[in-house]
Amino acid sequence: MELKLLSTSDIAVFVDGLLKAGKVVVAPVLKQSGKVFFKPVQSFAEVATDYIQTAFSAKEVVFPKVEELFTYQHNEDGSLDIKDQLDRIPETVVWGLRPCDAAGFDYLNQFFLKENPDVYFKARYDKTTLVTVSCSKCDESCFCTSVDSHPGDTKGSDILLTAMDGKCYVEVITDNGLALINSAKELFTSTDTLSKEAFLAKPATHFSMDEIKDKIQYAYASAEWKHASMGCYSCGACAFACPTCTCFDIQDEGTQDHGKRVRCWDACGMSQFTKHASGHNPRNTQTERRRQRLMHKFKYSVENLGVVSCVGCGRCIRVCPSHLNIFENILSVMN
Amino acid sequence: MQDKAAELLKNGTVNLLIGFSEDLGKRPVPCFIETAEEANILVFNQECKNNLSVYLHKKEVKDAVKIGLVSNIATLRSVMQLLSENQLWSLTITYLTVNTAGALVVLSSAEELEAYVQANFPTCRAEDKEMLDKLNAMTRAERWAYWKDQLSECVKCYACRAVCPMCYCTVCTTECNQPQWIKTSAETSGNFEYHTMRAMHLGGRCINCGECGRICPAGIPVHLLTAQMNLEIEQEFGGKTGWSLKSEYAMNSFKPGDKENFIK
Amino acid sequence: MDTNQYIPYQVRIADIIDEAPLVRTYRLEFTDPTANFTFKAGQFAEYGVFGEGESTFCIASSPTREGYLECTFRSSGRVTKALANCEINDIIGLRGPFGKAFPIEEWYGKDIVFITGGIGLPPLRCVIWNVLDQREKFGKVSIYYGARTVADLVYKEELDNWKKRDDVDLFLTVDPGGETKDWKDNVGFVPTIIEQNLPSSTNAIAIVAGPPILIKMSMPILAKCGFANDKIFTTLENRMKCGVGKCGHCTVGKTYVCKDGPVFTYEEVLQMPQEY
Repeated sequence: MELKLLSTSDIAVFVDGLLKAGKVVVAPVLKQSGKVFFKPVQSFAEVATDYIQTAFSAKEVVFPKVEELFTYQHNEDGSLDIKDQLDRIPETVVWGLRPCDAAGFDYLNQFFLKENPDVYFKARYDKTTLVTVSCSKCDESCFCTSVDSHPGDTKGSDILLTAMDGKCYVEVITDNGLALINSAKELFTSTDTLSKEAFLAKPATHFSMDEIKDKIQYAYASAEWKHASMGCYSCGACAFACPTCTCFDIQDEGTQDHGKRVRCWDACGMSQFTKHASGHNPRNTQTERRRQRLMHKFKYSVENLGVVSCVGCGRCIRVCPSHLNIFENILSVMN
Repeated sequence: MQDKAAELLKNGTVNLLIGFSEDLGKRPVPCFIETAEEANILVFNQECKNNLSVYLHKKEVKDAVKIGLVSNIATLRSVMQLLSENQLWSLTITYLTVNTAGALVVLSSAEELEAYVQANFPTCRAEDKEMLDKLNAMTRAERWAYWKDQLSECVKCYACRAVCPMCYCTVCTTECNQPQWIKTSAETSGNFEYHTMRAMHLGGRCINCGECGRICPAGIPVHLLTAQMNLEIEQEFGGKTGWSLKSEYAMNSFKPGDKENFIK
Repeated sequence: MDTNQYIPYQVRIADIIDEAPLVRTYRLEFTDPTANFTFKAGQFAEYGVFGEGESTFCIASSPTREGYLECTFRSSGRVTKALANCEINDIIGLRGPFGKAFPIEEWYGKDIVFITGGIGLPPLRCVIWNVLDQREKFGKVSIYYGARTVADLVYKEELDNWKKRDDVDLFLTVDPGGETKDWKDNVGFVPTIIEQNLPSSTNAIAIVAGPPILIKMSMPILAKCGFANDKIFTTLENRMKCGVGKCGHCTVGKTYVCKDGPVFTYEEVLQMPQEY
């Protein structure tokens, strides 16, 4: 890991330089609605800087909301031409992630690649460099410190910037990050002392991972689930905003002669998610569906991958039309 | 309101009360209480915008039969529309609202509800009127570009459908795959299909609570689509949504005097 | 270079057999002669009609029979209806093989008891063929199979062949009221027929598949006969899309029915949340 300094006024120079070099830069942009989204930008001037969290995560860069798996075209002899577009993915830099988002990419990496590697995810992830900015502010929906992270965490990032007065610490964590820095070496100076604590936000801690480890096994049978899910509208807002939700649907679009097969985001909270063709639905009530979501995040991913799949970003709480609170719910079903 | 809620729960008039409480961020959020002791968590103010009537379709609420519903005027209009569509026949509902003078009003029957709604019927919200005027002043090409830009952001989370009290179909058109009327993937043309279909299905039924647009996680003002649809239906065929216990649904009724100005 | 598990093989429909009302078997051959498709009994595949989608069924033939594979399905939804409209020589897509197979090698020398009903026979036929093709490796083979009516029985010709064999005990039945005038076999629900012909659990394995009610009623009988829960195998069905443990549709607790199953022992099934 290398430590450098970058003056705040040079950030724009750095990012504009990346754009000039032909990279796609995806960064937070303020839209007319007042919400901030990760979008491709053409200059640093478009990048939003004064906000706590984006509405949706940046997972679209590696797991798009609609992804073409292949196109198919019937030939005269009845056979088909099947083609994918895996070789057309551009070099992308995601700028302005929060440490919770970067931890989310780390989870996605494990989920998609550890077993049965997903070639679509890999093709995009291999071409993506993640530049994270530490959080100096937080709100009451943030709870990264409850899930083994914090506003200055480097997990999952290639580069982590922490803003001070007039300059930033630049922690260069991976070779990918180093390659990016080296493309504009002259902007960076070296340093060997890192003292970022004073510039980091202090979100409230609601529980610890030890508490989860101890008590989550009792949560499934809790009588509190009904209460925890009464307000749930059964939409997909939380799952789609979440940096670690990965469920998807596969659909054919076109005719039997030619068309494409795509995968698109899906959500376990939606009522038809588990419904069989026979009409039987194993998770027939919203209580069962909300229980599935939370148990998956805090128990099943631990059992399958060794990590909790919630990063404490709080987006689910903010986008939910009834602001259902994931950490309050988890506490109530564990106790 | 807290006292009244406690009273209704205690004396058994209500088994389940749906209202608002405050979350950690001091935002009013829907809450569901079943005992008088819980009534002290209730709040009510201008920020209480969720249209709680949508929960009346929920199985757990239907099972409770005797419901208390904390309502703003939009919620009351929604209930009127649902009553006129015969969707609430299994429930006995007591409504708690606050009038413009700040006083608690308790409505215990459909007739009382109708009288109150008609006496306090709201006009179109100023900010919505402003946006609709702006859109209607655009050329077709400009308006198309506006909605294309907006709807490219849609992720098909269906939060708009989920919070709408009028979207109560047990199997939505989007969930039908024989045939697949509306694509499931969230790319722009499929998003157009979904939102225009929804506006059609809500034409003459939407009461313009504006919740769909307010809660959209992508920040798209989808409520303007249904608002415009309803304005046009009102202009062409008369009738107000959420006004009367008797339904005069424009899209399934015919009168010999109906204008046909749209056929050009 | 990792395999792209979403690109299907192209397979030609070589033969179509109408088994029962709405139930068909397709014999499929790979169009690419270099396709090195190998599978084990119990694994499943995703069969796709391009433009309509994919549907999940077990591979109902056995790897002991080379050059083709077979699937049997009931026409019930969009994809299966489109599949049912296909004709001989049409090309459809096939992805797989997916899932964990039955541990047949661990059953050498044991008695095998098959219990199934209706459309539950196809997932077990792969094992039955596999066992019969290596008959000398196994002990007694008993098959308990029934359907609602005579017309609903699948693999009618094979049932005849199994009945004629003296190294297979076939207990065939139809539900009361489902028999025809010339029906010569049992009449009664499958669990009733098992009660009348109790299998021995000594050195035996039981495999149960089929409608949930059949599984529910058969388990106590097997327990009574002394079958331990880890000696009873089943194959679970759940809504599936990707087949490789990523899309999330088939999860039961932490288990993905597609990649951790679909074959499970009854002991494993009891440890799952009962949400399937």
